[in-house]
Amino acid sequence: MSWVYLGIAVVFEVAVGLFASKAKGFTHAGWTVATLAGGAIATFFLSLALLTFDVGAGYAIWTSVAGVGIVIVGALFLGQRLDWKKSLGILIVIGGVVGLQLSGAA
Amino acid sequence: MTTTTTATTTTDSKTRSWLVLLLAGVFEVGYALSVGGSEGFTVLGWSVSAVVFFLLTLYALSVALKRIDVGIGYAVWAGIGAVGAALLGPVFFDESLTPARGLWLAVIIGGLVWLKLADSVKVGSRKAAAGAGAEPAVGAATTSSPR
Repeated sequence: MSWVYLGIAVVFEVAVGLFASKAKGFTHAGWTVATLAGGAIATFFLSLALLTFDVGAGYAIWTSVAGVGIVIVGALFLGQRLDWKKSLGILIVIGGVVGLQLSGAA
Repeated sequence: MTTTTTATTTTDSKTRSWLVLLLAGVFEVGYALSVGGSEGFTVLGWSVSAVVFFLLTLYALSVALKRIDVGIGYAVWAGIGAVGAALLGPVFFDESLTPARGLWLAVIIGGLVWLKLADSVKVGSRKAAAGAGAEPAVGAATTSSPR
C-alpha cells in the first residue's frame, strides 16, 4: 500500500509543478487553488508512504521520479524543450539529492 | 547587435526570477524544518510555521516559474531545499552532517551552479557557445548583467 501512496504523492508533486507554472505568480485564482491543494495532497500522501518506507529511500524516489516527471510534463503541456546542458544539470541536482537521502538519515 | 536592449531586459528579469527561485528554496527549507519540528502537526508553533512557509514557498516558486522552465525550477527548488535541510538539521535537531553527505551537498551545489549558467545562455550567443564551450560563452552573454 505504501507504494500506492508514494505513487499518488509523485503524481501530485508533478501536478504542483505544472499548476505553479500555470498560476503565474498566483495571479490566476483557479491554478493558485490547484497549486496549494496539490501541494497539500502530495505532502499528505508522502507522509503516509513514509510511515512504512525508509524515510531516506522514500524521499529519494519521490523527488527523483517527480523531478523527471516534471521535465516530461513541461515538454508535453508547456512546450518547454530542454537542451542537453539543462537536462544534464537537472540530472546532477536530482542525482545529488538522491545520493544525499540514501547516505544515511541525518 | 540590434537586439542588445531586448537581451539585456530579458537577462535582468531572468536574474530576478532566479533570485525569487533561490528565495523559494529558502522557504522550502523553512517548510521542511517546520514539518520535522511539528512531529505530525502536534506541536502548534512549528505547525503554524509549516503552513506559513508552505504558502510562501509555493508562491515564490510560482513567481519564478513565470520565466524559468518548470523542469529547471523544480530541480533547483528541491535541490536548495535538500541542501538547506541537511545543513540546518544539525542546528535545530539531533542530526549530524557526515562527510558522505557533505560530498553529496557539493554535487547538488555544483549542479545548481551549472543549471544557472546553462539557463543564462542567450539565443544570440548559441553559436559562440557551440564554438568556444560553455564557460566563455556564458560570460560573454551576461557581461552587462551583474551576477
